[in-house]
Amino acid sequence: MSSETTSALVLSMQVAVLATLLNAIVGVPLAYVLARRRFRGRSLVDLLTTLPLVLPPTVTGYYLIVLLGRRGWLGAPIYQVTGWSVAFTWYAAVVAATIMALPLLVRTAKAAFESVDRDLERAAYTLGRSELRTAVEVTLPLARNGILAGLVLAFARALGEFGATLMLAGNIPGKTATVPLAIYTAVQTGEDARALMLVGLLTALSCVVIVTANRLGARAT
Amino acid sequence: MTGRLEVALAVQVPGFELDVAWSAGGGVAVLFGPSGAGKTLTLQCLAGLVRPRAGRIVVDGRVFFDSQTGVNVAAQARRIGYVFQGYALFPHLTVADNVGFGLRGRPRAERARRVAATLDKLGLGDLGRRYPRDLSGGQRQRVALGRALAIEPALLLLDEPLSALDAPLRRALRDELRALLSEVGTAAVVVTHDFTEAYRLADRIVVYDAGRVVQAAPRAELLWQPASESVARIMGIPNVLRGTVVKATPDRIQLRWRGQVLEAVNSPSRSYLPPPEAPIAFFIRPEYVRLIRKDRVVADVQHHMNLMRGQVVADEDFGTTYTLRIRLDDPGPPAQGDWDIEVEVPHLVYEILEIERDRHWEFSIHRGSIHVLPA
Repeated sequence: MSSETTSALVLSMQVAVLATLLNAIVGVPLAYVLARRRFRGRSLVDLLTTLPLVLPPTVTGYYLIVLLGRRGWLGAPIYQVTGWSVAFTWYAAVVAATIMALPLLVRTAKAAFESVDRDLERAAYTLGRSELRTAVEVTLPLARNGILAGLVLAFARALGEFGATLMLAGNIPGKTATVPLAIYTAVQTGEDARALMLVGLLTALSCVVIVTANRLGARAT
Repeated sequence: MTGRLEVALAVQVPGFELDVAWSAGGGVAVLFGPSGAGKTLTLQCLAGLVRPRAGRIVVDGRVFFDSQTGVNVAAQARRIGYVFQGYALFPHLTVADNVGFGLRGRPRAERARRVAATLDKLGLGDLGRRYPRDLSGGQRQRVALGRALAIEPALLLLDEPLSALDAPLRRALRDELRALLSEVGTAAVVVTHDFTEAYRLADRIVVYDAGRVVQAAPRAELLWQPASESVARIMGIPNVLRGTVVKATPDRIQLRWRGQVLEAVNSPSRSYLPPPEAPIAFFIRPEYVRLIRKDRVVADVQHHMNLMRGQVVADEDFGTTYTLRIRLDDPGPPAQGDWDIEVEVPHLVYEILEIERDRHWEFSIHRGSIHVLPA
């Protein structure tokens, strides 16, 4: 295996694991709130988290540049203060993968939370538990398999992310070129053997992910 | 008796409005009425799970909610035991952990002791390490009851505690539940839409209909003196009929129905004196109608009051009794579709009188078995 292939693989795993972790930290509470709370702007939040699922990844990537690029709404002040920009670093790949994977996790986890019988939560309240303790002790354990299935899907999505990553992180070999980007480069430059190997690897990995998600999903019901 | 309960609630949820006020003096109060009458919503308000728009909830002298003074004690702090419809046992916890769920924060030893004592009391002694999915319906009900009782609640709420069970088990557990509630002595509010269940469990019955209370009374009073025609219909009483007043005195009411003049008892205590020709609702208990034997001397009007004659047009076998549907011989449309009156006779009577073969009968009703329903 060439060093570029190895680095693409390592980078992809790194990005996917971190993106999945971020999804768990941000997406699970978000899904709980969307499933259980009624508040102003709820449907807007729901819309925004779902949008990356529907938009072409390049469009999502474009928005990310507008937000985080060196001259972006958030990116410009950060650049002025620190002289650093997230764009075209491997962190950008993590951000892009996180945003692209979020809808899958949030939608799956939200459905899992919604499937938990509300009377179980009510019972916990009458037995003295606060809403937070109830969420941790009752709702979360009962929604666990659905959430895990969502995380597996998010991981898969993060692993395969191409468009938004290309927009925000670029395709810098050894730095931001994840496996999907490396495949693109390999095909463009006629390195058929390399492309074939990466494609095979990614396909195998995806199969494992789908089987895992299905098993978790089956146990959830 | 402890556990006095005062409830006044105005609640609005999409498509439904609840506006009720009732009280109970400890013991078991049953909220009875059709589905969608607001019974469960009332329990949720009592438990603090739903906040009423206005009203007042006082349990045993403690104000849990008062919209005027702005008091609203959180569900977590009310110490009200709630047995949910379908029981809502935590499926990921063992029976012992379910029962001990409300005892968090107490010393481990005390918690274990209380859980063991509760399981023992409910006859669940050796099931502590099982999971709810491994239990029968009756056992689940007891675990739910144990979980609610373990916190030594000031008030116990039970939402259709028997509806998840099969019919034979239901009857056994109904009586078991009744014994348990009186043994524990905690004031309880039970929701049911089954009148037999309501009557067996209740000291006091509160009848709900479409978000209102239509009657609240001790159970015997409700059975013998439903406050209105709608209460009688909600209770599922057969033979709720409508006639016109002929004459009303404090202790008798004469009324016209299907060409007959019937005499009913009036109760002086409620001073109900409708004017002549006023419409009047009443009901006849099917088990108190007397068929007159044809092998006896001719019926004399002195002995048999409210004498009528008719034809059995249908009969239904209920195992130990038959329900006969009788159409009067008098002309005019029957009062209840195809027939005028429902009569219940034991199997033995049905066989001795050969009702299967002989369909034409004279019957009488004592005036004490015709109950007038005040408008």
